[in-house]
Amino acid sequence: MIGIAGLSKARGGALVLDDVCVQAGERAVTAIVGPSGGGKSTLLRCLNGLEVFDAGEVTIAGHRMLPGPHPPRLLEQVRRDVGMVFQQFNLFPHLSVLENVALGPRVVARMPLAEAHGMAEAQLARVGMAAFVAARPATLSGGQQQRVAIARALALAPRVMLFDEPTSALDPAMSAEVMETIVELARGGQTMVVVTHDHAFARRAATQVVELIAGRITRTGPPAEILGA
Amino acid sequence: MKSQQLLPLLLISWWMVVAAAPTPAAELDAVAARGELVWAADQEGGGPHVFPDPDAPQRLTGFEVELAELIAAELGVKARFQQGQWDRLPLLLGHPADCVINGIELLPERRRDYHCSRPYFAYGLQLLARRDGPLDTVETLTAPGPAGRWRVGVLTGSAAEAFLRSHPEFEVDVIGYDGTIDSLEQVKSGVLDAALMDDCIFNFYADRFAGLRAVGRPFAGGYYTVLTARDTPRLSAAIDEALGRIIADGRLKTLYDRWDLGGRQQILALRDAAEIPVATRRSLRELAVETLPLLLSAAGMTVLLACLSFPLAILAGLGVALGRLYGPAWLRPLLTACVEVVRGTPLMLQLYAIFFLLPQVGLALPALVAAVAGLALNYAAYESEIYRAGLKAVPLGQFEAALALGMTKWQALRHVVVPQAVRLVMPPVTNDFIALFKDTSVCSVITVIELTKRYSVLALSTGRIVELAVITAILYLAMSWPLSLLSRRFETRQEQRA
Repeated sequence: MIGIAGLSKARGGALVLDDVCVQAGERAVTAIVGPSGGGKSTLLRCLNGLEVFDAGEVTIAGHRMLPGPHPPRLLEQVRRDVGMVFQQFNLFPHLSVLENVALGPRVVARMPLAEAHGMAEAQLARVGMAAFVAARPATLSGGQQQRVAIARALALAPRVMLFDEPTSALDPAMSAEVMETIVELARGGQTMVVVTHDHAFARRAATQVVELIAGRITRTGPPAEILGA
Repeated sequence: MKSQQLLPLLLISWWMVVAAAPTPAAELDAVAARGELVWAADQEGGGPHVFPDPDAPQRLTGFEVELAELIAAELGVKARFQQGQWDRLPLLLGHPADCVINGIELLPERRRDYHCSRPYFAYGLQLLARRDGPLDTVETLTAPGPAGRWRVGVLTGSAAEAFLRSHPEFEVDVIGYDGTIDSLEQVKSGVLDAALMDDCIFNFYADRFAGLRAVGRPFAGGYYTVLTARDTPRLSAAIDEALGRIIADGRLKTLYDRWDLGGRQQILALRDAAEIPVATRRSLRELAVETLPLLLSAAGMTVLLACLSFPLAILAGLGVALGRLYGPAWLRPLLTACVEVVRGTPLMLQLYAIFFLLPQVGLALPALVAAVAGLALNYAAYESEIYRAGLKAVPLGQFEAALALGMTKWQALRHVVVPQAVRLVMPPVTNDFIALFKDTSVCSVITVIELTKRYSVLALSTGRIVELAVITAILYLAMSWPLSLLSRRFETRQEQRA
């Protein structure tokens, strides 16, 4: 499902990713761990084309991306099949919770309004946010916002989900509620890549852990092996 | 309206009355003490009266320049020129000008509102049209032309305008211009069917407009007079006496002969000049009944101009801002250059270019269309800068989140970035709408009669400058006040959201 081969990227003359190779099968949950500034988020953003890279290649959900700028058509196809959840949620503040989740199906999948709303309601129910369809994002707690963001990413039924430090901006209580949502998804068989500092989470949910330090993979293996018991 | 809101309105009205009250004019002794007689005229398209010397454009020439010098010499002082817009010259009386010498026709209304000297020049009205056009006599104007009513240009506030407006038997739409050359240019380019002006003006410019010809003989003649303020009787008398001496000893005839203005005929006509009656002064009620419908319909034009041009400006401004931030690389410098050119040149010049220059390359726009286009173009440049700031203020994460959903760049802008930017820029955009409201007054340079222009025409024809200024100010306030309230509401809502 995911193949990263010899991926390198330089920024301002320095290598931020250096010959990175990762393989992950269907239903795999890959946790990327390591110190801040090690290139974790950059690697994740290369997987859906938010960043370009200089060498190597990425195969994801059946799409192949090569170094340099990607053709717009390819990007749209990759992003339909690969959902992403950001550290800062990035919900659209001018839209209600329901409209946030329905926007993707409406605009990208050209779903009729009623159908898109139905789909959005189902996704919100899945993350326990069905009661908040009419709310504005600004009125929700951080944890609730992140769950809406997860529902938004799920609305297009992506084959792979990317999580970029999904709990770093949250306090422990809210962090736990978001974590549960992601663990539930993993149990449901969703293929995902999660950048995280939270080793307890990685131990619970991940099928493999990749440690990235200064742009290089230092260790890869099962959670128990990399993170200890 | 709450009393709280009424108070500033009353204060402004009171201030306008105080500010518009005429300053006491300089009397004869003040002129003598100063050693200068300040005379006002408009040098724009001002031949043969007052115009820049073609050989030395920084120097003024014209038969009235020499006449002013003769009059000043008779008063024992030097003449000093004061530039003003022709239809507003009388407003300069008292301060900074002592008198107006600029082809001001002797009319009953002028005798009511100002002191008018004895006549110093006799004119006739001359109709002008293209040589290849269908107009061959003045009487042709009494029946509609091939394209309906004839379009005839005049100098705003001139006797030609007064004549056409007071003769409904002519099937004409009268279009007022700020300069005589403008209407000749518009006849030449086919925008107008004809122009009506003082005969001496066309005689002077006839060589430059060889494609135009005089239609019929001059008619509805009259006299030019020197205007002075009503509160300077001794200065007015001294100018009258000076003119008498200049006429009697033949200096005026010599002057007119030198300017090819037919000195002998002029002197004979002046000798036979009949007394012009004085128009009666209207009561305040009559004034209101007579002018309010005109002012209201002009206010309607102001609203129309603003409401047609601003949505266009917003759309174009948003398009330019998007193009500059997200468009192809070749487009960005091009749009930046356009914005700089439009922002760096005056609105009046842009209106001039659209209305007077485009017809020369075959694109003649009606005045209203040209005005809306000019305002929209000008404000689009300013709106684009506001939108650019608004678009940049939307966090990059919003754009990325939209892209991550699989949207194209333009879908992300349309559904996510632009709606947020529009909310951010609401208050400054509303402010600009108020500014545009007032800027519509510039459109009078291309013959659109909006509120300010209607005011100045009415103020001069009725002589009720102060009263009409107050009515006009109240009309403007009534139009912009709701917009101010709206703008404040947007701001409050945004503060609450933040």
